[in-house]
Amino acid sequence: MSDTAANDAEQQRIAALPFDKALAEFKSVVEKLEAGNLPLEDSIALFEQGVLLQRRCEKMLSEAELRFQRLVEQAGGKVRALDLSLGEAEEPG
Amino acid sequence: MREPIRPTEPMQADSKAASLPILSVGDLTALVKNTLRLSPRLREVWVEGEVGQVSISAAGHCYFTLKDERAQLKCVIFRDDRLVMPFEARTGLRLIAQGSIDVFDAQGVYQLYVRTLQPSGFGDLALQFEALKAKLAAEGLFDQSRKRPLPSMPQNIGVVTSLSGAVLHDIRRVLARRWPMARVVVSACQVQGQGAGGTIVAALRRIARWTDEETGRATDVVILARGGGSLEDLWPFNDESVVRAVAAHPCPIVVGVGHETDVTLAEFAADVRAPTPSVAAELVVPARVDELARVNQLGARLNGALNQTLVRLRQQLATETRALEAHHPQAQITADRERIGVLLDRAARLVARRLEIERTALSRASDDLPALAAGAIAIARGEVSRESAALNALSPYATLERGYSIVRGPDGTVLTDARDAKQGEAISVRLQRGEIGARVETVRDSTT
Repeated sequence: MSDTAANDAEQQRIAALPFDKALAEFKSVVEKLEAGNLPLEDSIALFEQGVLLQRRCEKMLSEAELRFQRLVEQAGGKVRALDLSLGEAEEPG
Repeated sequence: MREPIRPTEPMQADSKAASLPILSVGDLTALVKNTLRLSPRLREVWVEGEVGQVSISAAGHCYFTLKDERAQLKCVIFRDDRLVMPFEARTGLRLIAQGSIDVFDAQGVYQLYVRTLQPSGFGDLALQFEALKAKLAAEGLFDQSRKRPLPSMPQNIGVVTSLSGAVLHDIRRVLARRWPMARVVVSACQVQGQGAGGTIVAALRRIARWTDEETGRATDVVILARGGGSLEDLWPFNDESVVRAVAAHPCPIVVGVGHETDVTLAEFAADVRAPTPSVAAELVVPARVDELARVNQLGARLNGALNQTLVRLRQQLATETRALEAHHPQAQITADRERIGVLLDRAARLVARRLEIERTALSRASDDLPALAAGAIAIARGEVSRESAALNALSPYATLERGYSIVRGPDGTVLTDARDAKQGEAISVRLQRGEIGARVETVRDSTT
């Protein structure tokens, strides 16, 4: 049971990784697995992790949408980013 | 200084005409041409005026008129000269042109053949530019050693430019196509006119003060950009405060101002100089198709590595099983086999699930980048089904499924050689399901 919980936590962690981190981790997982000499259980765990990382990378590459915002200065000098639409390129939301 | 208009004297002209040769148009034009060419005053002239109509021929030569209140002058810049000039003639600009006067026979016009062109008052600007460049260079602001490398995969990209105009659209289009994972924050400024320099500096500072509210991360890289324009239009990018702000910016900065041939001091101070705003956008991000290819390649390596591991473990298993069967009591063998069987079953399920994932990825990716993804997935799928088959073959239970059975002698040892069995002896036969008690009737050595 705790195994499943740990798995879920790992899945959530990976699903939140930025692209560069996910790719770097993916690469290190592949290299570890390629180096071999791991027991089957560890190999399987690494493989599972690699699959999640690959999915994360692919998902971001194919589904990401550029966030395009404008910086405005607010009272007190704080700088905030507000969504910016440019004429025809306007997006919903 | 105008010549007073004299009354004409037709009688005299008539008598004179009789004594003069009749010229062809070509001869007369040649005469005018030679007269002009021989005038040292016209061999090199500097003339100031306002640019009227401008046209560029298919061959790349530029034709325009210079005018003032009293007169117009046709001017020509040949293609080769035009391409090396720091800027172009545009309608409405006041210019100083330098060149020589000559006649274009075919059209019967005299023209200024322009060799150099500068805006009126350029002398001052050019001096300012050179003086400031020398001063800032002496301070080391333009040194190569100060240049920082650009991040390979920026998450937050700052853009400093005008909100109006095509530049921001161009930058957005390039970033959305190449690297849509990025978050772009635009800090608006004026890019020309009085006070523009101050707004550029303020916009850079605004970006430096911003951090991503979710990650706490500042911008990884900044683009400072402006489209093409006249020398005066681009002048804010030679403003000392702007150049210093670019050099002092906390993250790497790419400056793309005007066209390829325009050079401003802000570009010298930048970490990377881009010839145009669009190129600046291309320089700050990788291309997602390249990264997708990289991810797919790693995916293939991941599959390959697991496959290798399974091959290695299978060899180990074969060796260990032989050792176990020779030395361990039956219960131990069964327990070990079960443990290994469970692990191998899990690996087989994983590989099967992996196949599902690849399938989903295929359907998802096929909308976007069909050829690339489909190729990689087809390869992965082939590997996965090969792996599944190999795994199934590995399991000791699968061996029984295929119809083989395990025969043990009366003491429980596994019989692998007919010569170990004796006629009449009780043996047991383990099948996929259950066991059969049996008795040896005959023994045949396979070698006989």
